[in-house]
Amino acid sequence: MMQESTSPFAVLVVEDQALIRMGAATVIHDAGFEVYEAGDADEAISMLELHNNIRVLFTDVSMPGSMDGIKLAHFVRGRWPPIMVIVATGLPDFQCTDMPSDSIFFSKPYSPEHLTGGLRQVMSQLQPR
Amino acid sequence: MPPHSPAHPEVALNLALAVITSSNAPILLLNGDLSLIAASRSFCSAFEIDPVAVEGRQLSELGAGEWKAPALASLLTATAAGNASINAYEMDLNRKGLEPRRLVLNAQKLDYGDDKNVRLLVAVSDVTDARAAAKVKDDLIRDKAVLLQELQHRVANSLQIIASVLMQSARKVQSDEIRTHLHDAHHRVMSIATLQQQLAASTIGEVGLRSYFTDLCKSIGASMIRDHEQLSLKVSADESVTDADESVSLGLIVTELVINALKHAFPGDRKGKIGVDYRSNGQDWTLSVGDDGVGMPKGPQSAKSGLGTGIVSALAKQLHGIIKVVDTNPGTLISIVHSHVAALNSEPPAVLGARAI
Repeated sequence: MMQESTSPFAVLVVEDQALIRMGAATVIHDAGFEVYEAGDADEAISMLELHNNIRVLFTDVSMPGSMDGIKLAHFVRGRWPPIMVIVATGLPDFQCTDMPSDSIFFSKPYSPEHLTGGLRQVMSQLQPR
Repeated sequence: MPPHSPAHPEVALNLALAVITSSNAPILLLNGDLSLIAASRSFCSAFEIDPVAVEGRQLSELGAGEWKAPALASLLTATAAGNASINAYEMDLNRKGLEPRRLVLNAQKLDYGDDKNVRLLVAVSDVTDARAAAKVKDDLIRDKAVLLQELQHRVANSLQIIASVLMQSARKVQSDEIRTHLHDAHHRVMSIATLQQQLAASTIGEVGLRSYFTDLCKSIGASMIRDHEQLSLKVSADESVTDADESVSLGLIVTELVINALKHAFPGDRKGKIGVDYRSNGQDWTLSVGDDGVGMPKGPQSAKSGLGTGIVSALAKQLHGIIKVVDTNPGTLISIVHSHVAALNSEPPAVLGARAI
């Protein structure tokens, strides 16, 4: 059953694979957050401009378009510093050292519990604005 | 007293010249003033020099002057003076209408008991083709690494898509039984995905079972155990490593047995623990999953076997293992035992039917 979001915070999912994006959005919604979806970095930035309740960016690394997930993460940290970043990638030897500080990193495939656990972890650092 | 005096100086010189001329490796014999005494036939044919126009010429006059290289001349002069030796000096030989050739030169002053008449022996190897081949090989190795990465990335993404679809299906169905089946399917996919992550981190295609089973159980525990105070799931494996094929089978067996214990061994809020263990000794090994739960159900209905039982039986057979089920009262210990000697005699594996899993 669809329940209304219980958190004042929204999460933006950026993933070019529609089925993965849908799955992640479902898990996040079920965890009680409002969810926005974007298929690439440009769409993500438009979403961030439109919805000021987005406080967590959950992004894939490899994406088509002008920016990959890493560049997007840095761009978001520069322009919307309070937004927390979670990155997921299927790249085998991904180095998470070049991520914005306090970011969380998952390797794909991640389980729903992994995702909700990561969300709770970053949400605990957020204050309502 | 000279150690060994040749019969006739002219014979000795002729012998030296014959040795130089017939050398398969391109070499030159030079005077101290860098004029040529002899060049091997291999040198002349490799660098298109007329053999009759060699003797008495300056090195810088050879061919169309392509050997006129100030750095080389000064190194050779220093070598002739005994102040240097040339080890693997590299230079490009540029000739009109031809691609440049990369050369490696070695030169030394010959010590032959005549200090007045300095002689230099220069060996020239053309490494252009070898370098090009090495570069092609390096490029291929790099391309292969990139392809492998791309493939691993794709596998991870594909498994994520499958896992996502299974989770969404589980969320949509009304029937509890079907939902359970879909969750089990999700666990099986994640079990293979966990192995994939371990393999991607390993360069030699081997998987450390303790870290693999630990990750696997963490993932199963995170989704199936609500209260970690009530139920614990522990892995105690030795340092064994196995290849990808064997690891994926072992991981799937662990997944089935752990899920089975979680579902059936602790009804209500019964407290307890589940242990996963793997030990090997030479080619023999034992994988076991034990719990301290309610034990196997008695009676005829217990013979009903599920997909999980089928998976464990099939994989145990594939691994040439025997399934042993022991009532540990409290609880159950299920082991897959592989004995190398028994496997060679291809003893048929036992069938697990005690508890539907």
